[in-house]
Amino acid sequence: MLSTILWAGKGVSLTSFFSVMYFTMFLPACIVLFALTPKKAKKYFVIFVSYMFFWFISGLLLAYLILSTVSMYFFGLWLSKVKDKLKQESAGLEKEERKALKEKYNNKERGIVILSVVLHIGGLLVLKYAGFFSDNVNLLLNKFGIAGSIKAPQFMLPIGISFFSLQALSYILDVHYGKIKADRNIGRLALFICFFPQIVEGPICRYDQTANQLWEIKQITYENLTFGIQRLLYGMLKKIVVADRLNTFVDHIFSNYSSFHGGVIAFAAVAYTIQLYMDFSGSMDAVIGTAQIFGIQMPENFKHPFFSRTISEFWTRWHISLGTWFKDYIFYPITSAKKIKKLTSSARKKIGNHYGPLLAGSIALFAVWACNGLWHGAAWNFIFFGMYHFVLILIGSLINPLVRKTNSKLKINPDAKWYRAVQIFRTCVLVVIGELFFRAYGLKNGLHMFKRMVTNFSFLLIDETTMKTIGVDAKDFIIVGMVVIIVLCVSILSEKGVSVRRKLADTNIVVRWIVLYALILCIVVFGAYGYGYVVVDPLYAQY
Amino acid sequence: MEKLIEILEDINPDVDYATCETLIDDHHLNSLAIISLIAELEEEYDITIPAIEIVPDNFNSAERIMKMITRLQEE
Repeated sequence: MLSTILWAGKGVSLTSFFSVMYFTMFLPACIVLFALTPKKAKKYFVIFVSYMFFWFISGLLLAYLILSTVSMYFFGLWLSKVKDKLKQESAGLEKEERKALKEKYNNKERGIVILSVVLHIGGLLVLKYAGFFSDNVNLLLNKFGIAGSIKAPQFMLPIGISFFSLQALSYILDVHYGKIKADRNIGRLALFICFFPQIVEGPICRYDQTANQLWEIKQITYENLTFGIQRLLYGMLKKIVVADRLNTFVDHIFSNYSSFHGGVIAFAAVAYTIQLYMDFSGSMDAVIGTAQIFGIQMPENFKHPFFSRTISEFWTRWHISLGTWFKDYIFYPITSAKKIKKLTSSARKKIGNHYGPLLAGSIALFAVWACNGLWHGAAWNFIFFGMYHFVLILIGSLINPLVRKTNSKLKINPDAKWYRAVQIFRTCVLVVIGELFFRAYGLKNGLHMFKRMVTNFSFLLIDETTMKTIGVDAKDFIIVGMVVIIVLCVSILSEKGVSVRRKLADTNIVVRWIVLYALILCIVVFGAYGYGYVVVDPLYAQY
Repeated sequence: MEKLIEILEDINPDVDYATCETLIDDHHLNSLAIISLIAELEEEYDITIPAIEIVPDNFNSAERIMKMITRLQEE
């Protein structure tokens, strides 16, 4: 087995943070060896184990990660050189001359940035979407009676490429915007992009969030170790007890939806939404907890999204690092472009201060949601998922003035508890519908499932015998329900500003250890292992 | 400052701009409201707000927005 791992790097055993191999061997070995490594060598040790981790999963595809690091290093230095030259040449010039020179150098920088985007995103497009585009071109050609036979080569995808490509690009763009200075230390850049807890599913960190923290990595402390382990276990509880337990049921209904009535499909869509949240946010707890063990503070990627009052707010609480990436590098650059600003300005005069900017905003919003849909995968249902949210956010913004007026006329307080509850419920329903299309096997099936949900709503055709065939029973749903209630309580407290972990740290040591053991026991006893369950890789690792 | 608060109230009247310091963090101003605000500010104060300036730090309170405006006017 060792030779397989070392030479082929096929990741047979080390598939994710939740694999037995990772928990029993890789992570404990990393912690112990890190603690024993001399202070000055700790950062190099983390680079080494991060590359090992990547190698275990993706083997020789590690080359992509190394190439990305080298590319961001050189592009950063190139941009820095152009900036320095501008500084030198503009010294002593008049304001107008300085402006003209700045424009000239800005164009140069833009050229460099475009080249870097082509390399990083172009590479991602070829690897991830070549098959999708060739299939659709062939389909289109066939419709016109031309025999389309474009065959795209099948590429192996390195783990986390959609995450580290965006992270690399954010570094280059931040250097271009002057937000950060180009790093002359390739080791720091390598560590920033390869840090093993974040490589599979993010969060997509910014250079100014983690690069220096990682390069100055310190000895493990008792508080970081215990806090980190607690967060890790909480993530495992969400992932192994809830997400993996729901997987069997969700997969069966989505694969055989035509055998079930609409009520069951709706229930499966809710179950999938819970599964996805518990899987992804649980993985993020594992990432943030692991990083915390090493004293690294990662940005949060979730902020209780199911308390959102609007879809727009939902996306500022779910997969935050992806949302802010699109906002900072697609949405605002588009709306800040001269032509779009001109459009905003003239539209404001013609159609008012609300709808005018909305026109320009909708162009940028469209770009963001097209990219968001495609980022998740090369399939029409992902594109539909993106467009669905684009339309919902747009409608929300369009009717906003009308809603405000109506509320004011009817004397409805928008901060009243019942009004917030209705808004939250509405957002949850819309999110579940979106996730139905996201999970469906293709857009056609998604539409069929939705139609069945609306036109044939009943819970018939599901009884105890069917549940047995699927491989789940009432016990599964009771366990899932109990953990969901625990997570909900923790989320409500956190939403109110109460840190459960801090509260726990302030309690008696006996209580602390009882809670910790209860958590471990709960994962071991109620985790979805054994006969009937398959090990489920983190869902977002495939994107 | 009065003019700025007037502009902000026109975009979202449900906020106390004199005291609120979490306009972005608490979702009082979403991305589309920001575009509207930027268009208004650029016209009113004769400034250009580049994409790099659109960060929560510059938009979380009326005071911070005013600081950014003053800085951009001086540049």
